[in-house]
Amino acid sequence: MIAPRHILGTFDEALASLRNNVLMMSSLTERSLDRAITGLIQRDDELCAIAIADDEEIDQLEKQVDKDGIDLLLRFQPVASDLRRVVSAMKLSSNLERMADQGTNIARRARKLNQHPALPETELITPMYTHAMAMFKDAIDAYVREDVQLARAVVPRDQALDEMNATAGRRLIERMAEDPEQLRGYLNLIFISRCLERVGDHATNMAEDAVYAAAAEDIRHQHLVPASDE
Amino acid sequence: MVSVAEMSEITSPTVVNQTAPMPNPANPKVERGMIEIEQLDFAYGTNKVLHDINLSIPARAVTAFIGPSGCGKTTLLRCLNRMNDLIDSARITQGSIRIEGVDINASSVDVVDLRRRVGMVFQKSNPFPKSIYDNVAYGLRIAGTTKRTLIDEAVEKSLRSAALWDEVKDRLHVSGYGLSGGQQQRLCIARALAVEPEIVLMDEPCSALDPIATAKVEELIRQLKEQYTIVIVTHNMQQAGRCSDHTAFFYLGRLIEFDDTTKIFSNPGQRQTEEYITGRFG
Repeated sequence: MIAPRHILGTFDEALASLRNNVLMMSSLTERSLDRAITGLIQRDDELCAIAIADDEEIDQLEKQVDKDGIDLLLRFQPVASDLRRVVSAMKLSSNLERMADQGTNIARRARKLNQHPALPETELITPMYTHAMAMFKDAIDAYVREDVQLARAVVPRDQALDEMNATAGRRLIERMAEDPEQLRGYLNLIFISRCLERVGDHATNMAEDAVYAAAAEDIRHQHLVPASDE
Repeated sequence: MVSVAEMSEITSPTVVNQTAPMPNPANPKVERGMIEIEQLDFAYGTNKVLHDINLSIPARAVTAFIGPSGCGKTTLLRCLNRMNDLIDSARITQGSIRIEGVDINASSVDVVDLRRRVGMVFQKSNPFPKSIYDNVAYGLRIAGTTKRTLIDEAVEKSLRSAALWDEVKDRLHVSGYGLSGGQQQRLCIARALAVEPEIVLMDEPCSALDPIATAKVEELIRQLKEQYTIVIVTHNMQQAGRCSDHTAFFYLGRLIEFDDTTKIFSNPGQRQTEEYITGRFG
């Protein structure tokens, strides 16, 4: 539900600016991850270098979102859905920054891999990337549209990504034993797989924040038994 | 200046009518200081300003009434100690208000005793043109207490309860008008506490105070709720969030929502509440 206009126009402007910066971070993070993976698949060092350089802008935006969020809390003391919107924007920004860090890590590992002959096992990465990015895009979409149902649906999809990571890890460890000459390469692929698994975790966090923003419901860590029930 | 009527409202004598005090019912389920409002309608002449209010105000907790100007929150507050009786055309047209199970509008209820049990603090501090000591002692004296040691004890206890004792103990006999605005308001709270009420009503008690004086009154409210049921009307949303346990939101004379304060300010159940507290009303 889109809220009616605030009596204070400056509040609406500040909140819109905060959200715009989060969405800008999201676009840059998506582009950075895409460049890193394309750099890996197409063995393009130039793209990897750009992906690494992209990170600085995202870091600056994270600082800007934090500054604007704190400024907004200080000046307007928002409550209810307004407070949740500010808090979730700040939390999303933190997750996006860490997600972008994974893009940088992938690009760095890709550059190392590109120095050696291509490994056929690199193809294990593509489906993981596709899955992680679908989760990421849906989490952002749910946040923008305040779509609780879509956000909730993102969370269980992380399990499939975890399984892909575990499968890829097992396969790459087997290959290490079979082909010790390429041990470093397999190790780099394990790290990249792990980075994508982390991207899925951040997408899950963002989906949970989207549910909180829209429905004031904390769906994190639901497997944990509350202390009062023990 | 304080009017004579206001003086009597603020510190009504304790035992003016011994024959008709508000009885404490034997029902153990009724907690001391609990207020129950049922299907209450209230009108000024033909202008109905409260519609079908149903509200159970818990004892020994702070309940905030919030809502835009004219929503009826102060009118309802004034119903709780029958302050509206002083307005000719004002009357409850339907429903009841029960304090500890007793209908406060019943003919057997002594309104003077009611106002002793249900004290009130106003928007603007209104000390009497008397010394600090005499301000606090006023209610006790007109209730018939003459023993100096009893009054001394009650004055000190009340001033301590109002977190004012340390600031005034060396000048108890100077005029209450010499105090700062915040101190005057705490003096009024001490004056209300001196007659040992069970419920304290506060009508925007901090609206004329600076932030430090406001913080002191809010801290005082937090301490007082251990012994008293407190109902506070406030336009300051942050204040309601900070110092109340429960919040009731009123609009156009109707109770829109009543819930725990954390719920009201984090995820209210009604759209109108959400729009009001987030500043999107109207």
